Amino acid sequence: MARLTLMKLLQAVPVILIVSVLAFLLMSLLPGDPAVVIAGDQASPEAIEQVRRNLGLDRPFLEQLGIWFLHLLQGQFGSSLMLNQTVLSAMGERLPVTLSLAGLSIAITLPIGIFVGSIAAYYRQTWVDSLIMGVALLGVSIPGFWIAILSVIVFSVILGWLPSSGYVPIDQSAIEWLRAMILPAIMLSLFQIGFLARMTRSAMLDVLSQDFIRTARSKGLSEWTTVGKHAFRNALILVITTMGILLSTALGGSVVIEQVFALPGVGRLVVQGILARDYPLVQGVMLIYGFVFVAINLAVDLLYTVADPRVRYD
Amino acid sequence: MASVKRRDFSRGMLGLGALFLGALTLAPATASAEAAPKKGGTLIYATLSGPGTLDPHVSSSAVELEVIHNVFEGLVALDNQNATRPMLATKATMSADAKTYTFELRRGVKFHNGDELTSADVKASLERYQRVSPNAKNLADVERYETPDPYTVVLHLKAPNVVLLDVLKSPIFPFMILPASQQDKPARGIDVIGTGPFSLGEWVKDSHLVIKRFDGYVPDTSAPGRDGYAGRKTAYLDAVRYRFIPEATTRIAALQTGEVQLASSIPTELRDRIEQRKELAVREVFPVGGTYVIVNSQYGLTANVLMRQAIGAAIDITEITDATGGVNKANPWMSFPNTPYYLGESAPTPWYDVKSPAKAKELLKKAGYKNEKIIIETNSNYQWMRTTMLVVAEQLKRAGMNVDVKVVDWTTNAAHMQQGTGEWNLSTTLFGPDHILGPQQWRPMIYAFPSIKGNDALDAAYQAFFAAADLEKRRAAWLKIQQQVLGDAYMIKIADSGRLSGYARKLMGQTDYPGILQLWDVWLDQAG
Repeated sequence: MARLTLMKLLQAVPVILIVSVLAFLLMSLLPGDPAVVIAGDQASPEAIEQVRRNLGLDRPFLEQLGIWFLHLLQGQFGSSLMLNQTVLSAMGERLPVTLSLAGLSIAITLPIGIFVGSIAAYYRQTWVDSLIMGVALLGVSIPGFWIAILSVIVFSVILGWLPSSGYVPIDQSAIEWLRAMILPAIMLSLFQIGFLARMTRSAMLDVLSQDFIRTARSKGLSEWTTVGKHAFRNALILVITTMGILLSTALGGSVVIEQVFALPGVGRLVVQGILARDYPLVQGVMLIYGFVFVAINLAVDLLYTVADPRVRYD
Repeated sequence: MASVKRRDFSRGMLGLGALFLGALTLAPATASAEAAPKKGGTLIYATLSGPGTLDPHVSSSAVELEVIHNVFEGLVALDNQNATRPMLATKATMSADAKTYTFELRRGVKFHNGDELTSADVKASLERYQRVSPNAKNLADVERYETPDPYTVVLHLKAPNVVLLDVLKSPIFPFMILPASQQDKPARGIDVIGTGPFSLGEWVKDSHLVIKRFDGYVPDTSAPGRDGYAGRKTAYLDAVRYRFIPEATTRIAALQTGEVQLASSIPTELRDRIEQRKELAVREVFPVGGTYVIVNSQYGLTANVLMRQAIGAAIDITEITDATGGVNKANPWMSFPNTPYYLGESAPTPWYDVKSPAKAKELLKKAGYKNEKIIIETNSNYQWMRTTMLVVAEQLKRAGMNVDVKVVDWTTNAAHMQQGTGEWNLSTTLFGPDHILGPQQWRPMIYAFPSIKGNDALDAAYQAFFAAADLEKRRAAWLKIQQQVLGDAYMIKIADSGRLSGYARKLMGQTDYPGILQLWDVWLDQAG
């Protein structure tokens, strides 16, 4: 296990290196100029030039790239041009919001997605299957932005059950935190539930047609034990793979949800950073997200060996 | 030696505004018809996004300025009629040669940290402004500052400058006074300490910002009440909480549920959602700016003045404003009505709202146009800009022009206009609100956006403007400037435009003055 972990970590090094170069290149290749944003829409060319000099953006491209790598090696992810703070502290302030949104959304997604996917597989090719898969298809097809705005109008304006937007830290009030986060988390889950249900159904269908399931039934095991224990355990490997994807899409999807519900998370930070051409901020966040995704993939790889003893990497 | 005192500041030496205010429609405030103001309560205000910085010397965006103007104050400020009025000064005197300005300060004014405002703070602030502000060139004429006593500041200039006070009252990159201890702080790195009626409370980036009533605030008692950005300011609210909600639908939802009492930037098509509730209302803030088609005079076909004029002749203003919606009023001038440099009903250009494809075709023929491509650049961020340029494209096609529309993002679009880069002939933008102050604020934009180079008549008109001590002569120079800019179609004026905000009716005392959000003298009728 230790060898496997080490091997996977070593494999991650070139990935991180490529991500860091791409992060720098992508932002630098974008048209537009952070100096223009900072100096204001109506600033004179001299004012813009002054800002550019102040920020070091007038230096040659390779020099800027060199400085970026030098700082990375020293563990510095840079400082935001707009926020007057380091990328790490800007992310640190916003990460709890995004993580709690993603966490709550996964907590909603997993039981519902797996349960309805399993039910659809069990009742395959009946009206129950068609209904569940139809709803799941809606979940993955409806634009998150549209359904999120609609949910605000229904649950906040018409029914008055939940606040329309904003964030309350959990240490301030757990109940208010939940009231603020539940609607965004459900909206973020819709796509994921649909996706997970379809994956679970597919995996379960595959397992339910295996010989050992027929054997289990023929030796008189109850349906619950057959499906819940034997079939599900074997379908779990696909669900674990899906979880990695779910976590990644939760972090990615949070960009839209945070925008609609005015949540001060990392997604909104990135959007503002891109609009303002805040190069160091977006580059830093991309790199840190690169680390996170590598870590998620590593965790998924390691979980395989736990879920399926046949899986070995050596 | 001419001096300008508090009471007669607007009629003084510069006299801006005083000569032209006979037909003013701006009411001082709506408070008179309402119940007596009540202290207390927290106003929650939904705005698009949070400020990046609260350093006034480097701030030009609306979301920053609508906090800054409630927290900081300058020596002088715009009054209700867009004339100059003292704020932290009691008197400003200009020497006969326009090379020395003397400011006497109001006594007993306190910063939020409890220290009293003195001339050392003013000197330190202006010196810092010269060091860090993108707008620093406006103080380039200053040779030295002198502080003969704690309540007097003297600015010695290298060259005569008759419009210095007009510059100092600018609400954008405002010349706010900070404590002297902030002098060496870098751009965007100050402690937020001002002399305004509110002080900074909690600020959670991307989430919310709170300003609290400053109980040590010392108002300008020489004024009867509020007066634009100046006058006697009274803070009734205990606090104001700015909530940053980027989505218009969510801002409106927050207003409908009572979570906020004021919301900015309401799209015209959604105003009904607010007006259908009796406890809510929509306010038109007008004018906020002027919208223009920018013509790139250094790129391809539009380097030819006849081509630019042909484009001007083809444009139909009503079609554009009907398509974009919002609050718009036609005005051929580059100054708003009711401001000192507004020059009357007639137009400075024969090309305003001509809407004549025939005339355009005639000019195209003279220009030797051979169906070459005219490139329109617009952006994906602002729908009104995109709509404007799509309508303009159709109008130009109607006049026989070959048009290509290119959509980029606003940052790129703005950079191309400001720096004269990119490949484009036409684009659009909104200028405002600082250009209500006059031609001196207009100058960098006039030259930069359409990339004007080598126009001797324009250069001469600007030289005449800055040399004229007499306002009438400056107005005459401004006419010539506009005749060049609009007559030669470097820019094509569309309209003056405003914006909508939504509010709960229990929020009382909002001013009719169309400036940046002012939170003094407003109160909540049912506090809390």
